[in-house]
Amino acid sequence: MANERTDLMQGTLELLILNTLARESMHGYGIVQRIHEAAEDLLKVEDGSLYPALYRMEERGWIKSEWGLSENNRRAKFYKLTSKGKRKLETERANWNRISKAITKVLQAT
Amino acid sequence: MKIALRQLLTRPNRTKTAIEVEEELQFHIEMLERKYAQQGMSGTHAKAAALKRFGNLERVSKQCVNISRRSSLVRRVLKLSSVLIALTGLSIHTLSSDYKVARIGTMLITIAVSGRLLVYVRGLTFLSGTKTSLSVVTDTPKDAAPT
Repeated sequence: MANERTDLMQGTLELLILNTLARESMHGYGIVQRIHEAAEDLLKVEDGSLYPALYRMEERGWIKSEWGLSENNRRAKFYKLTSKGKRKLETERANWNRISKAITKVLQAT
Repeated sequence: MKIALRQLLTRPNRTKTAIEVEEELQFHIEMLERKYAQQGMSGTHAKAAALKRFGNLERVSKQCVNISRRSSLVRRVLKLSSVLIALTGLSIHTLSSDYKVARIGTMLITIAVSGRLLVYVRGLTFLSGTKTSLSVVTDTPKDAAPT
């Protein structure tokens, strides 16, 4: 068996980040680890690509950041969801459910 | 002159931003290194593996600095402009007894409020045209035809 990669839709990474941060504030490394664990390594996030996404999300006011101490006492930047981000997460969750339901219906029909 | 002024205004901020971005990305790479070392890799191999997994460090760093710089500069300019326009409009509206001049004040207030709303709506739209590396890993038989 060989691994094959299928790119996902635009906006999916942002949805996963919002969802991950809904539980607690985290640094970038923690976010990637949490996504990998939750997806049981079926989803691959290129670590570096997370950061431009985080910065854009902060620019849009969905998340905000502050410096703090990591679990190993290193200075790290922690991100947390804003109320605007919480609303965005709800909207995008609903959109995702609608899209996946629609695609499943189409696949079952053919 | 214009360029010198712009550099003077943005340079200190950009330097601080660049340092913070570098520190943040460095933390991520060090955490990866630590993880690989705990899995039994030698220091050199752990470092190489961490950098490989992270991707293009220089490109990511540049992107983050640019977004951060653009974000703070645009936000400051927009905020200041809308406040100035709104205040001018409000002054004209309250001080003028002439109906036509007062209407100009109302128009300015409307422009300022619309500008703020536009920024808000822009924030609500999901990113389009940005490349993110997120993929699903699927197992396929080795003898499957290459796509």
